[in-house]
Amino acid sequence: MLAGMVLAELLLAGSIGTTADAAEEPATSGGAAAFRRLTEVQYQQSIEDIFGAGIRIPGRFEPPLRSEGLLAVGDSKVVVTPSGFEQYELRARAISAQVLAADRRKTVVPCDPPSSNSFDEACASRFLSHYGQLLYRRPIEDDELRSVLSVARAATQQAGDFYQGLQFGLSRLLVSPNFLFRVETAAAAPGIGAAGRLDDYALATRISFLLWNAPPDAALLGAAASGELGQISGLEKQVDRLIASPRFELGIRAFFSDMLGYEQFDGLSKDPAIFPKYTSQLSKDAQEQSLRTIVDLLVTRKGDYRELFTTKRTFLNRNLGALYHVQVGNEAFGGWMPYSFSASDPRAGILTLAAFLLQDPTHEGRSSPTIRGKTVRELFLCQKIPPPPGNVDFKLVQDTHNPLYKTARERLTAHRDNPTCAGCHSITDPIGLGMENYDAIGEYRIRENGALIDASGTFEGKPYRDVMELEQILHDSPRVPSCLAERAYEYGVGRTVAPGEREWIKYLNQRFAREHYALPALMRIVATSVAFRTVASNTLAAN
Amino acid sequence: MPKWNRRNVLKGMLGASAVTVALPLLDCFLDGNGQALASGAPIPPRFGTWFWGCGVNAARWFPERLGADYDLKDELKAIEPYKRKVDVFSGFNCVLGGKPNLNHWSGIMATYTGACPTTGGMGTGTAEAPTIDCLVSDTIGAGTRFRSLEIACTGQSSVSYSMRAGSTINASEVDPVSLYRRLFGPEFQDPNAAEFKPDAGLMLRQSVLSSVKDERARLMRSVGAADRMRVEQYFTSVREMEQQLGLMMERPAPALACAVPKAPVPAELGPVWETALKTHDLLGQLVVMALACNQTRVFNVALSTAASNLRKAGSAVSFHELTHEEPIDDRLGYQPESTFFMEKSMEAFASMLRMLDSVKEGDGTLLDHSLVLATSESNYAKLHSIDSLPILVAGTAGGKWRSGLHINGRGDPSSRVGLTIQQALGIPVASWGVGAMATSKPVSEVL
Repeated sequence: MLAGMVLAELLLAGSIGTTADAAEEPATSGGAAAFRRLTEVQYQQSIEDIFGAGIRIPGRFEPPLRSEGLLAVGDSKVVVTPSGFEQYELRARAISAQVLAADRRKTVVPCDPPSSNSFDEACASRFLSHYGQLLYRRPIEDDELRSVLSVARAATQQAGDFYQGLQFGLSRLLVSPNFLFRVETAAAAPGIGAAGRLDDYALATRISFLLWNAPPDAALLGAAASGELGQISGLEKQVDRLIASPRFELGIRAFFSDMLGYEQFDGLSKDPAIFPKYTSQLSKDAQEQSLRTIVDLLVTRKGDYRELFTTKRTFLNRNLGALYHVQVGNEAFGGWMPYSFSASDPRAGILTLAAFLLQDPTHEGRSSPTIRGKTVRELFLCQKIPPPPGNVDFKLVQDTHNPLYKTARERLTAHRDNPTCAGCHSITDPIGLGMENYDAIGEYRIRENGALIDASGTFEGKPYRDVMELEQILHDSPRVPSCLAERAYEYGVGRTVAPGEREWIKYLNQRFAREHYALPALMRIVATSVAFRTVASNTLAAN
Repeated sequence: MPKWNRRNVLKGMLGASAVTVALPLLDCFLDGNGQALASGAPIPPRFGTWFWGCGVNAARWFPERLGADYDLKDELKAIEPYKRKVDVFSGFNCVLGGKPNLNHWSGIMATYTGACPTTGGMGTGTAEAPTIDCLVSDTIGAGTRFRSLEIACTGQSSVSYSMRAGSTINASEVDPVSLYRRLFGPEFQDPNAAEFKPDAGLMLRQSVLSSVKDERARLMRSVGAADRMRVEQYFTSVREMEQQLGLMMERPAPALACAVPKAPVPAELGPVWETALKTHDLLGQLVVMALACNQTRVFNVALSTAASNLRKAGSAVSFHELTHEEPIDDRLGYQPESTFFMEKSMEAFASMLRMLDSVKEGDGTLLDHSLVLATSESNYAKLHSIDSLPILVAGTAGGKWRSGLHINGRGDPSSRVGLTIQQALGIPVASWGVGAMATSKPVSEVL
């Protein structure tokens, strides 16, 4: 009885790690806490969430960096350059001016100063600490507030206008590294071995960006403040709330846009003389089609991730209808309609959709089986393809007009006879050649330069005749879901899996399989895990 | 009739009453020998890099004869009008010293940073050390509004070879309209304007930045050791912006040749070569005027990414693909389609030289007061070869550099050129480079 009470007390007092599911979770070493620059989308979403829709955000953002397969990992490596900061400063002023414009200030400033041309410290404190907390994603400290207030005071005095003063104060918050970067604070936690753990605000931020690609809302910050997030039940409650929200779709779109390399669509062009159907709108529509297909299968229907490679269900608009040779009725006029490819249609699965097929910024006038094969290996199987070696003689690769080598397969076979090239091209090309029935913008074809296209090959020892059979093999390959699980975790923590987390990743894969490869379940396991908030002790900041 | 001498004009301009002076400014602002402003300050040296992707055909590009009497082969013909102002460097290599040859990356980083990189390829990757433009701007860039200006001509702001070391690039301006706004928009202060009224908001903007610095100590305590460098870089950027604002509060020194250009109209961007060359000239002209107007002293041009995506409209393949896949024409002995782009690249460089040379400053031109390092990441892109990288240096840095020579490095690291440039620009550095690229041997022929 006494022992039981002690146990119950321990359960209540203990933080995470006490429910049945989490009990089987292997301990991890953790990795480094991150210092991540907000992405352009995250910046925009933050402004919209915090100040409301309709604020124009000017200026150029610094380009993202893809590292180890994810922009989210690159975000932990990039800095703010002088010219990039110049843009942040310009942006901060433009945003503050709009937020405090006469028509909007009533809704954002929680108090009325006695006089609009002198400084009201109490009102300025309320305004700046409220927005400071939302922008910094944690309560703003007293000394931080004092520094911001002094800016607002000086500006009020110089301009003779309280709201101008608030504008400069808000600009000050908007150029802060505490806003522009996600600062993950962690401390030693004797409870979980030698590793440290994120504080509750940093955890709230990780969870929120993982699930919504947005900063934590007031409720989540409240749960961090009250200690609710430190309890497994409170943590689960918040994670379940975020997953149930319609905003979860935004988070999933952001995750797949990163995992599938969609930043490559920026500035993507195909030669209009060769591909008259290609427009920049077509590339936007193609992305939207794939994201809708992903969201429908994985979020709306909570389906099996592996079906993404075989599903006939998708969405079409008129632009894509023309590309796929599908009559798109009036119901899709100006919009999208759900559509299922017929059994005889040579399309099923994400690899036969235009977004995948045309996403190759290095070839504007033709398809590249090498790039497509490399993309499948890297994005869906988490495999690394080494770059071509230096000083290679490319004599064997001939031009597209060579009468001897009409198809890409013939040209690449000539290439692969060279042993220096064969090593990598035998890994990439067979997959890509399986997709040669689709040209550089994803239009179906059976011939290239008059010769029949042979799309057959083998993958993991299994033969296929075309890309849809290849997709079935991918569907059955255990590497496919394990790659997704690994990427989801890395996306959440902003770094690659640490050596001390390998066992945990195996556990994550088993749990994912038990959940029938449902994505919301995977995200829930990640977000509520101990591993997700564990930080390697040797990387803890020296406090 | 008042007497037009430099003393009277300056008195009028700098005095309390506003006097309007017609542009361009007269040589009477110069001291007797045309190399310094009346204030005694010499005409400042400028530095630029100019990058093109996918190299050259060595036999058609490098001159045969060494020295001042070098010959211009077909691929270098475009620079003929400026030959006396251009040095050609052959036989300067990217020396890997056991590091991998990262295709379309090692070559450019070797010349620009003096160090072979360990990761990257296809025009992106990491820099082991800061690129030379950063080192130069740390010395000669102080006192101007912009540390440096980066431009790329194919519409992609991620195409830039200016890096502080690490993996972040200094992103490029790609759109003439936005570059114009940044340079000559409302914040521009005409150095030759008769009246000067600093914006009252500048001081408040400075106070914002000064207040942000209060967050440094706490932040340095909160992040792990590996991220402290990144925090420092952020605050370095804040300090540069503070200085930039500080300069805007001071009356700018008159700039001899500054003439504010007309605002460009929106135009198409992209890798089709005609578009890219047009963009090059529009952006280039703005950069040249930014130099003349003292807004910056350092610039970086990237005609295209290193694995060049320049192409002809309607063609299935880009320059980079052509270099690897186009057969060598037996009769010509080279790849005619690829060669087209090599020649166009040199035409674009000649266009940059023309723009710089057409701005008169003192007894010379803006080009004379500059050093422009032009290079590519490969010698022969078809084979990714990085021996004898094609390197040109134009200008004389105001007489501190001997131009018009062809110099052979006999296999020495290409960092020798960068070391020499730094020394000519007055940077006190005796050696430069890392590992096999390290050198303490400047190219004495040009100093």
